[in-house]
Amino acid sequence: MIDAQPAALGETAEPGTPSGPRALLALTEDSVATLAAIGIMVLPLGEIVLRRFFSTGIPGAAPFTTHLTLILGLIGAAIAAREGKLLALATGTMMPEGRPRHVAGIVAAFVGALVTTILALGGVRLLQVHYEVAKEIAIGVPTWAADLAFPIAFGLIALRLVWRSSPAAIGRAVAALGIVAGAWISTHPELLLDQSGWPWIAVLIGAAILGMPLYALIGGAAVILFLVQGDSPANAIIGSYDQLTSTDLPAIPLFTLAGFLLAEGHASDRLLRLFRAFFGWAPGGTAVVTAILCAFFTLLTGGSGVTILALGGLLMPALIADGYRERFSLGLLTAAGSLGLLFPPSLPLILYGIVAEVPIGDLFVGGFLPGLLMLGALAALGVREGLAIGSVRRRFTIREALAATWSAKWELMLPVVIIGSLLAGATTVQSAALAALFTLVVQRFIQRDLAGFGDLRRAMSRSIALVGGILIILAVAVGFTTYLIDAQVPARLADWTRANVESKWVFLLGLNAFLIIVGGMMDIFSSIIVVVPLIVPIARHFQVDPIHLGIIFIANSELGYLTPPVGENLFVASYRFNKPILHIAGAMLPMYIILLIGVLLVTYVPWLTLGLLR
Amino acid sequence: MPNRILLRIVVALAVVTSATVAAQAPLNIRLATLAPESSPWTSALRSMGAAWTKATASRVRLTVYAGTIPSESSAIARMAVDGLQAATLTAGGLAEIDESFNVFGIPFFFQSDAEVAFVQEKMAPMIAQRLQAKKFHFINWANAGWVQLFSKNPIRSIGDLKRAKLYTGEGSPKTVQWYTSNGFHVVPLSLGEIPKQLKLPTGAIDAAPSPPVFALTLQFFRDASYMLDIRVAPLTSATIMTDSAWNRISPDDRTKMIEAAQTMEKQIQAQAPALDAKSINEMKAAGLQVITLDASALGAFQAAAESQLATQRGNMVPPDVFDAAVRARTAFRTSAGR
Repeated sequence: MIDAQPAALGETAEPGTPSGPRALLALTEDSVATLAAIGIMVLPLGEIVLRRFFSTGIPGAAPFTTHLTLILGLIGAAIAAREGKLLALATGTMMPEGRPRHVAGIVAAFVGALVTTILALGGVRLLQVHYEVAKEIAIGVPTWAADLAFPIAFGLIALRLVWRSSPAAIGRAVAALGIVAGAWISTHPELLLDQSGWPWIAVLIGAAILGMPLYALIGGAAVILFLVQGDSPANAIIGSYDQLTSTDLPAIPLFTLAGFLLAEGHASDRLLRLFRAFFGWAPGGTAVVTAILCAFFTLLTGGSGVTILALGGLLMPALIADGYRERFSLGLLTAAGSLGLLFPPSLPLILYGIVAEVPIGDLFVGGFLPGLLMLGALAALGVREGLAIGSVRRRFTIREALAATWSAKWELMLPVVIIGSLLAGATTVQSAALAALFTLVVQRFIQRDLAGFGDLRRAMSRSIALVGGILIILAVAVGFTTYLIDAQVPARLADWTRANVESKWVFLLGLNAFLIIVGGMMDIFSSIIVVVPLIVPIARHFQVDPIHLGIIFIANSELGYLTPPVGENLFVASYRFNKPILHIAGAMLPMYIILLIGVLLVTYVPWLTLGLLR
Repeated sequence: MPNRILLRIVVALAVVTSATVAAQAPLNIRLATLAPESSPWTSALRSMGAAWTKATASRVRLTVYAGTIPSESSAIARMAVDGLQAATLTAGGLAEIDESFNVFGIPFFFQSDAEVAFVQEKMAPMIAQRLQAKKFHFINWANAGWVQLFSKNPIRSIGDLKRAKLYTGEGSPKTVQWYTSNGFHVVPLSLGEIPKQLKLPTGAIDAAPSPPVFALTLQFFRDASYMLDIRVAPLTSATIMTDSAWNRISPDDRTKMIEAAQTMEKQIQAQAPALDAKSINEMKAAGLQVITLDASALGAFQAAAESQLATQRGNMVPPDVFDAAVRARTAFRTSAGR
């Protein structure tokens, strides 16, 4: 069970507002993160305007945007640590009150601080490397300036883990020894060389159960495994750097900000009224709209976690108000966030085409019916639920429909802005920046939902802590993936399959299971890059059509998003709706089963994919 | 003091044993490349690895990580922390280590495979020396055909080209600046944007320099259905190894490894034209129109390109490297003209 709450670590910490140097530090962090967020919004937009209308541009707009995302993500994670919002297993809170919980908190903080210190020093090494090769972001700005965010953020997080571990000085002192131990291991890597990694992994899992944040479990496993094979933990941090500066990642903070700006105001009321006006007459109307809207949003943004962030705040109240059970609504929103990956111009489809060397146009056509099938399956579940609970049904009137449309006209414009800008040639990031700016202007100046600077700052700071909490996990997960690739784990798996599996159908079944597990551990872009080149030759061996394979891959990834432990939608939903992951996973089980049936149909009925192509 | 003597013997034995063990422990070279697993480059690298193992009696082994690195910058950083010991990188990636590699990316500088091979051979010692200063060892070249010009409207002159909205990578503002200051209209984008932007009627670009195999794979030739057969630049790659790994190999083994590497270089060099031709023929069958310039149009194009050449010197390419490349090219053209 995973909880977005400040688990065991936060329970014993001092509440209250910090003062003096700590307040100054908090202000500095907030300002840096806010400025980075503004930069991420302004740079891509400035680039469009200058490039389109003046045939110039901002030199290095894209690299600056990605490096600001790195800074925002890492400093955002430090802010999340400050506010006790780092994702941790909720098992820490199940410890008996009093002494056991106190000790558990100290042990968890000790191990967390140890890992985090190794990560911080890995960041210092990365900074050195970039300094030595004089790597530039652009126009003479050195990359090491952005790299500073690694040691600073991880350093602050380590200190905060220690600070929050115990109210007693002695407890904090014990936890602080974790920082010393981490520094010691970093400077004496030979200590771990050629040892078995398993006892260490066991310690990490134990600490995670006692309440250590999740990023420290994944990041810790990565650095320990690197150290055991004689490699520097900096290898993991290099993976994190690559992930945090990847081209489309800035879309995540931008869409998140847009989502929070909408959520802070009354946009959900207006959209709710609109849904009711148009679909209120049908059984399960709002649930069907939820599925369609989520699919639509995901095909635009490429990452389904973003959909939950942007739409969760709107659709959740709408569903509840129409009488849907909270549990059903949670499950529906979490699951529907992964729909849409099979429709054009979904980013994963394009990336799959690039990596597998198959025509992207064929993938777009091939994905259409399977996409509709999955969407239809969830919508049907919505109708069933609507009938079962007798969800509120309303008479349709033209008058109300028009009035509701008019009142929600600005919110309705948002998808138009996103699609319109994409069709007009904007990149995903530029379109996300436009969406964020559009929402900002509408909510602050047109609808005037955000009354003043304070409201704006609240939306901003909430989205920053959330983005930090998500990006730090994505970052260390890539470090772990880097280790797996180095150890040739995926390649060995492929060899084994070729040697041991004979039937095409057994292969496909195994592939389904494998891809769901992979999808639960890796983000979709990494898994495409890592896994696709491995399975393509095996699939060819079993005479699986390459386009069909692509659609099977993406359809399985949709499920992967919903599969513990790292299934992105689960932890994003956990954050967004403030519920433990286990609760979310349970709520989503019926949707998971129906989507699984969809995936199996897509796998074993090749016609669904290839029918339109022939 | 017999104890002390005993201790010395033990220590001496330990040192000898560990030294022997160190000498016998095989050196595992981890090499990364952006080339995908199923590409001819990867299989050539693997056979080079097999040749290394055989020639050095398993003292050196090569593990190839194909298509698993997110970027060439990443491979360079991984080499700096000894997470990788070697990499096969394109000229663009190598230029991050040393700008001399930019010479292979100068638009319209080279005209033929023979010319590229000649200049590469002449420049190899200079480049190897520059790499040495950055603690890398040069292993071999691995060329991968030519970058051609794909466009939505036919391009027949440098004037046409200057009117086009040209794709360029977003990683190098210097390149953008160079194009802009020479009157080209470039739009920096990520690679993945090319197909989408070419498909849209109002897309940000309407032309993209690309290797044919890439235009075929990404299918953007269906929208940018004209290919100017102009050979914008060779797609040059090279394999490099970290000095710390190279220095662990005995001189004898190094000689054998370089021999195997040169065999691979020749094999790849021989394959590349056929691979380009195969991709182009496949696209032609699907509607690609290849524009070939007649001698005078080609001359005009090249003369116009040549007049902008000097702006690369010192700006994109270190002056001494630039001059050496021009000298080598002139030598080739003179001898070929004779």
